[in-house]
Amino acid sequence: MDTVLEATDLTKHYEDFSLRGVSLAIRAGSISGIFGPNAAGKSTLLRVLAGQAPAHQGSVQVFGSAYADAEQDLKNRIGYVPQEPVFYPDKTVQWLARFAAPYFARWDGAGFYKLLDEFKVNPLKKVKHLSGGQKTLLSIAMALSHGAELLILDEPTAGLDVVHRRALLDRLRAFVAGGDRTVLAASHITDGLDEIAEEIWFLDDGRVVAHEDKDDLLARWKWVHFKDGALPKAIEEGLVRVKRLPFGSSGLTGDFLNLRGALAGPLASGDVRLDNATLEDVLLSFIKGA
Amino acid sequence: MDPILRRSSFFYVTALITYMGLMGRFMLTRDWPAFEVIPLFLPVWLISGMAASEHDERYAFLRMLPVPDRTVARTKFILVLSFAAVAWALMTGVALVRMGDGLAGSPTLVYLTLVCVSAILIGACYQIGIWRYGLSIMFPVIGVSVAAGLALAIIHVANLKYADEWPALSRLGVVEWLGGAPWISSAVLIALALLAFRALLHLGVRVKAASEAHL
Repeated sequence: MDTVLEATDLTKHYEDFSLRGVSLAIRAGSISGIFGPNAAGKSTLLRVLAGQAPAHQGSVQVFGSAYADAEQDLKNRIGYVPQEPVFYPDKTVQWLARFAAPYFARWDGAGFYKLLDEFKVNPLKKVKHLSGGQKTLLSIAMALSHGAELLILDEPTAGLDVVHRRALLDRLRAFVAGGDRTVLAASHITDGLDEIAEEIWFLDDGRVVAHEDKDDLLARWKWVHFKDGALPKAIEEGLVRVKRLPFGSSGLTGDFLNLRGALAGPLASGDVRLDNATLEDVLLSFIKGA
Repeated sequence: MDPILRRSSFFYVTALITYMGLMGRFMLTRDWPAFEVIPLFLPVWLISGMAASEHDERYAFLRMLPVPDRTVARTKFILVLSFAAVAWALMTGVALVRMGDGLAGSPTLVYLTLVCVSAILIGACYQIGIWRYGLSIMFPVIGVSVAAGLALAIIHVANLKYADEWPALSRLGVVEWLGGAPWISSAVLIALALLAFRALLHLGVRVKAASEAHL
């Protein structure tokens, strides 16, 4: 499958934080999720990937071009939703649309107002009078109204109520359904994007600590609940996030596919039980100090 | 009209109207010191207009649009240049009218040109400063600059009035000398200033693209 976005060895330094040597490639037609704890570098990475901030080192290629060579074309093809909306606060939503429309090659005014209507955002309201969630929805409406082929979304579901969150997730699924449009979103695990993401990138302390197809990742990560002494020593020592419980112990393995054979016996005897791990469980096992 | 230009021009046009309305009219009605002093307020008004425009600006939003940084930078520089050019044209027009009364002379024309070319270079530097350091840092600098500019202009006026030996800038030897051929001198000054302004624009584009302080 074609790669729509490729970042190589991205480095960006701030006074108290650095993005360190991040490389990633995003496939066309996919929904990719960048997950990580606060201050992992998700927003910084997305800003660099969306051409909002320059990297100190490394390169970003979007649709085969660098921002330095084709900024205008690329920004026509990308819809970016920042974590914090950045509109003119004293202007109305309608004014913003009139302001932005001439710059986009494929601005769909009717589609924009239809989305506003669906999102229940009053176009005559000033931005400063919108709630946080409505500002996010306004950002999303703008990103979806200029024929973007790649959406880069920074915590788009944060601040949304459950109805709008569900509607957004459905819309993102529909956005990529044709196979030629792509979504890259950064998020905390628990806000729904983990449900629809197909490819997972875990970021911690400015580095990619894991990257895998979500189904593959969840297939090999399992909770192992076991009675004391029921597990071979080597397997028990390989578990992470081990919890001692009154009637045994639980631990997480990321090597389930290789351990299946060794666990068959204890599973059959009932001394060992398995549970599916969630992305949150997996992420916590990667985060330093979690 | 380009939306960025349209939005920002409101502040520059307002600054120009207030400058010409509040200050410039003295050049029509008062004696020669008006030609000496009123132009000194021009950079102050330009910087104030810029500060108002930048205070309301949302560069992070502009960066989301398919507008290259160099286009945004050029637009902002065009506003600075236009402000000074219109002010120069109006003040020069008034000076030409008042030449008949003997209140302005050839050196006055050169002096007005000098002030206006200084204003565009000062304005360009402040604009680059805002992109490099952000408005939160530059705002106090602009405030101090405006206050200092006003104070110096007022001190200059007072000394012109009360201190016999105090030199008038518009009557300095070099200005008088350039006033020997005012149009040629003005053309050369403007050409040199435009070259410097162009170099500052290139610098500004690079600074703006590399900096996040103004976002």
